[in-house]
Amino acid sequence: MDLWHGIQIGLQTALSWHTLMFCFIGVTVGTFVGVLPGIGALAAISLALPLTYYIDPTDALIMLAGIFYGAQYGGSTASILLNLPGTATAAITCLDGYPLAQQGKAPLALFVTAVNSFVGSSLAIVLVMGFAPVIAEFALEFGSAEYFAVILLGLVAASTMTLGSPFKALAMVVFGLALGQVGTDINTGQFRYTFGILELADGFSLVAVAMGLFGVAEIIANIGQPQGVLHKVGKIRFADMWPNRSEWKQIWWPTLRGTGIGSFIGALPGTGPGIASLMAYAVEKRISKTPERFGNGALEGISSPEAANNASVQAAFIPTLSLGIPGDAVVAVLLGAMILHGITPGPNLINDQPQMFWGLIISFWVGNLMLLVLNIPLIGLWVKLLTIPYHLLYPGVLIFICLGVYSADNNVFDIFVVLGFGIIGYVMRRTGFPATPVLLGFILGPLLEEHFRRAMLLSKGNILIFFERPISAVFMVISLIFLASVFLPGLRARLSRGRASTAD
Amino acid sequence: MRNLIKGFGLGALALAATFAGPAAQAQGYPEKPITIVVPFPPGGSTDLLARKIGEAISGPLGQPVVVENRGGAGGTVGANYVAQSDPDGYTLLMGVTGSNAISAALRDDLPYSPTEDFDPVSIVISSPLVLVVNSESPYTSVEDVIAYAKENPETFTHGTPGVGTSMHMAAELFGLESGTKLVHVPYKGSAAALQDLLGGQIDSMFGDILVTSEYVKAGRLRPLAVTGTKEHYLLEGVPTMAEAGLTNYAAFSWQGIFAPAGTPPEVLDKLYGAISDAVASDDLQALFKERGFLVEGMPPAESKTFIASEVEKWTKVVDAAGLKN
Repeated sequence: MDLWHGIQIGLQTALSWHTLMFCFIGVTVGTFVGVLPGIGALAAISLALPLTYYIDPTDALIMLAGIFYGAQYGGSTASILLNLPGTATAAITCLDGYPLAQQGKAPLALFVTAVNSFVGSSLAIVLVMGFAPVIAEFALEFGSAEYFAVILLGLVAASTMTLGSPFKALAMVVFGLALGQVGTDINTGQFRYTFGILELADGFSLVAVAMGLFGVAEIIANIGQPQGVLHKVGKIRFADMWPNRSEWKQIWWPTLRGTGIGSFIGALPGTGPGIASLMAYAVEKRISKTPERFGNGALEGISSPEAANNASVQAAFIPTLSLGIPGDAVVAVLLGAMILHGITPGPNLINDQPQMFWGLIISFWVGNLMLLVLNIPLIGLWVKLLTIPYHLLYPGVLIFICLGVYSADNNVFDIFVVLGFGIIGYVMRRTGFPATPVLLGFILGPLLEEHFRRAMLLSKGNILIFFERPISAVFMVISLIFLASVFLPGLRARLSRGRASTAD
Repeated sequence: MRNLIKGFGLGALALAATFAGPAAQAQGYPEKPITIVVPFPPGGSTDLLARKIGEAISGPLGQPVVVENRGGAGGTVGANYVAQSDPDGYTLLMGVTGSNAISAALRDDLPYSPTEDFDPVSIVISSPLVLVVNSESPYTSVEDVIAYAKENPETFTHGTPGVGTSMHMAAELFGLESGTKLVHVPYKGSAAALQDLLGGQIDSMFGDILVTSEYVKAGRLRPLAVTGTKEHYLLEGVPTMAEAGLTNYAAFSWQGIFAPAGTPPEVLDKLYGAISDAVASDDLQALFKERGFLVEGMPPAESKTFIASEVEKWTKVVDAAGLKN
């Protein structure tokens, strides 16, 4: 079937009134779920899934997918306005988003993220439409050696990510790695550091860690502040949102780079938007000529990760729809939804279910347009959130955080986890230890270990596997270049200093 | 003497009274909504089965049936929750091979006992697995695999969704029965293992029939044998392990409804009655057929014996393979 024919089928499906309605419901729910701290796409889709038993499978899928990518739009809102990530993946947007809001540029930041999200999604959808099978086949070339090399590159790129003391940052990466150790050892099935608590057998949940360190900690830090509102907000004019010429220039390339990174990460099954935005931010800061602006309200610091997480969410449909292999945990639930409706996803899905495949893709366009139209007028409303006094706002936020972590597994244990991390996060804040490196270690550490050990298992312990396989070798070499660019200047300076002193 | 008899009589009366309590309660059962705990997140086959059964028994029992997802630790978090619930028939578990048999064999640190802490209501369905290889690999039969693995010990790899899953156990049993040593490559979930099998990173896997049959149809995977005792309708022409030469081999994954131990027998019977009617309904029969499930619908006593035999079987495999944690 050619592309044009497919688009026609897709338009017929996606533009029928009931499908449009379900798409709209999905993206609207997604936006709100994204904005509300704690309740992420995974929790929302899990809750909505049983409701879809009674509607047409294509409509059901379009609605659930809408929640998924809609949440990526909303996720950054609370990060920017309140320094509370709306979803775990938006934690990185706090770094530069909140300083922007403090500078009174909240409308601009929200507008920019809406545009970034739209551009990131749209470009990734083009990839899904035109090249899904090709990309999916390429992704199959990635074994554990390649995954290890890619994640290592991410870790190396991110090594210079935070401000302040590099030792404190390093300590926090190690803390994050240690947290990532908790859970079941994949290779042996042994429980590690679970202390007999069965709820810890799957490790700490990312949502609980991120919401605790970023969200609850922020709330604790504000206890005892004089009662009042966060910021004074005047009437929002369009001019407050619209970036000026130099601002457009600042976000143009980061958005495209973020989209590229996000699409790549998203197409690799088993990763996800969290890794995509983390890597995008790291790369952006790494290549910036003025890295010191990051963390103080650099527009690039929100553009790139926001484009990346949206692109990754759309690209996650590439392996899902063309091979039946879910790109991340949320898409895995969507696959479950298909099976519930009697459609077994596999390599023939595009041919067996053209109406569903093309309907879904076209609905991505429709949904993203709806999101753009929905989100820009909402900016005014969101910014008004800042006028709610925090003795009213924060208890509400806490309730949503508790609801969000509880609904993941219907388990009270996770509420205590989020509380515990809130206290740890608060202590870290008071002592000047940054929280982002914890997240970095916690997300990338377990993946790095899993793929390293599997690569070793498959190569019978031959470490050269990382350099013998071409794709892996390329990423390893880039990592080495990155590392060299960090250490060599210092080394050279020290050498020349040494020479100078011996010459004396 | 007379006093003694009197005492006996009183004792018997008292005993009768204590038993009358739950029995009287059981008569009116169910008086409030029933919860079926699914020990996995929504969207999986266990979730689907629980919801369909819940829907079907709710009418006849005259009470709503609520499905609650309590995922974590391969189903053991949800199973532990039900094991510790009141044995009154209002909290039930949709248990699976991993949570209610293999975990007992594998772990000493499990806070519940699959045999002692549950009264099974019914093992509802079973499902064989299928040994698949990449269609571009040279292996065309179980014989090929065994010959290769014998010549090259610890080289032939198989992927699983994790240690202690039914896929893992099926492969360990294969090793024991065929006298070969395969390399176990555990993943987080079956999709990741499938991805590496399609990409040629691993040699084989014991996969779910429904999912893998799609890849077989598409010509990506080659089925070598099913683990059941007879041919499976989704994979016609594929031999069983017994037909392929491993005469004693049989491995299934299964799912069933469990109540906490100590649930009144009347309650178990009432539940079983409703479940067996549901299982016989056209709606569920169609679902089973579509999903590749084999209908079991075992009554409580038979289910109990079955669980004991499964625990025994997998304990033997775990011990022989040295997997105990």
